[in-house]
Amino acid sequence: MARRHLIIGGGTAGMNAMRTIREEEREASDLTLVSAEKPYSRMVLPYYLDRSIAESHVFTASAALLAQWKVKTHLGRRAAALDVKANVCTLDDGTKIEYDDCLVATGSAPVRAPVPGADGPNVHSFWTLDECRAVIASVTPGSRVVMIGAGFISFTILNSILALGAKLTIVELAPRILPRMVDEAGAHVIEDWLKAHGVTIRTNVKVTKIEDARGKKRVKFASGADVVCDSVIMATGIKTNLDWLKGAGVQIKQGIVVDDHLRSSVPNVYAAGDVAEGRDLVSGQPALHAIEPTAQEHGRVVGANMAGKDVAYKGSLIINIVEVCHLDAASFGAWDDAKAETVVGVKRDRSAYRKYLFTGDRLTGAIIIGRSGDVWTTNDVGMLKGLVQTGVPLGRFKDHLKSHPFDVKTAYIAAGTAGTLLPETVLGRPSKAPGETPVAV
Amino acid sequence: MQVGAFQPAKSVIRVSPFEGHTSYAPYTCTQCAEGWCMTACPVGAITINVAGAKDVLDDRCVGCKLCTIACPYGTVFYDPSTRKAFKCNLCGGDPACAHACPTAAIEYEDVPTVDWLHDFARERASHVLAVNGGRR
Repeated sequence: MARRHLIIGGGTAGMNAMRTIREEEREASDLTLVSAEKPYSRMVLPYYLDRSIAESHVFTASAALLAQWKVKTHLGRRAAALDVKANVCTLDDGTKIEYDDCLVATGSAPVRAPVPGADGPNVHSFWTLDECRAVIASVTPGSRVVMIGAGFISFTILNSILALGAKLTIVELAPRILPRMVDEAGAHVIEDWLKAHGVTIRTNVKVTKIEDARGKKRVKFASGADVVCDSVIMATGIKTNLDWLKGAGVQIKQGIVVDDHLRSSVPNVYAAGDVAEGRDLVSGQPALHAIEPTAQEHGRVVGANMAGKDVAYKGSLIINIVEVCHLDAASFGAWDDAKAETVVGVKRDRSAYRKYLFTGDRLTGAIIIGRSGDVWTTNDVGMLKGLVQTGVPLGRFKDHLKSHPFDVKTAYIAAGTAGTLLPETVLGRPSKAPGETPVAV
Repeated sequence: MQVGAFQPAKSVIRVSPFEGHTSYAPYTCTQCAEGWCMTACPVGAITINVAGAKDVLDDRCVGCKLCTIACPYGTVFYDPSTRKAFKCNLCGGDPACAHACPTAAIEYEDVPTVDWLHDFARERASHVLAVNGGRR
């Protein structure tokens, strides 16, 4: 039984792992956290950006909580090397930490488009708290902001930028927006909505250079007019923080390859969250899911296993939601599966769009777009998740869903989805409320 | 969960019509063991109240909507006017729905959760399928 647990990374996966270790264990083990930043939630940074919450609200662990959990912390430090034979982790300041088992949950970092000027003044990424602070300092009412990249990260901060009173232009290399979250028809619904709400969108454009222009920024393109603005936000993708681990003997493909207990090729080294290439629930295949819910579930499963439980993980489901100017867009599972049987529902007057993807008589993917206040949007979004998550056979209700894509509830209830879900838990027991974590002595 | 307004979009009990509105069934949060909404919340804004119900703490909720897509039952909602998530919290142990129901069709009892609606819906929806099948 492992006595000394080392958690590398204080994000969602690491925090959930630590909490679950303390929930599951009978005797208190040694718990050490190495984290480059003080633990906070990246999910809520957009709400700090638009000042609807205070900065203190973003933190997921205070010093007092970590002390209560009896966690030895190395904050502001990064892991630099892992010796999996000696079971020693070396930090960037030379500190060596011995462990019996460890969790690698080092997350991702933003990548900027490789163009001249990408690292110039007033060109920002939006990923960390520090970067959020820099954007807050630079986006002022009436200022002009160019966002490069029309992906998920851009869209999570779009409302905040507008709420700050800035004028926004989004530019995207691909022919359409949100290429990794919704299909082309869905993207057009969202694009039309945004244009109607005063957002300028230019797709199919390649940024070639970002210049300084008398206190402003000039963004140049391979074709088309330049855009002059006050600040540029680059949201051009992320990459896993795994360079430090290369050559350590832990198998890495897209991410760290993990089994159904989230163990890597080195049995006492676990991986979770963005860096873990684990099972995708729908396809059953290994996949990298850089999303919050996967980090959370991974973290809890690792925590339970580190505490000596035997918890197998069924796999993670891709779920994404973003709201822009009171239009919700969400997608689930294999929403881009070209082999699936598909049906589309559109209510053009309500900017509503549905796409369902079936494999046999099971729903394996879904896209839902609709106004935030519309009853059927809020009704159906969770039910679609339930249908994809359970994969319940829809039987003759599949045809009903195909002919009535806006009547999800009938199919959901009649297929017995809720009954299938009721016994399901991630850890094989009821979840505890936050703050209910006991500390064994 | 009472908001002090008459507005179906704010109800945490969604009523399903069956057989062309000849019968109805209410549907609300099962207070499931996993608490998908609670575990998904990135800021610990969903907790378990004295009634054992999962409950949104308004001063913690930032309105990110993650709970609304994490809940596989479709029983966590978002209110654009408050910018918060909301759901059935069993009114802290004294549900107003049980008091309000004029035919006493809702009783508040401490019993294991079952999917009682499934068979009812399957049977009642058969009619809808037959009609729609004929129409297409």
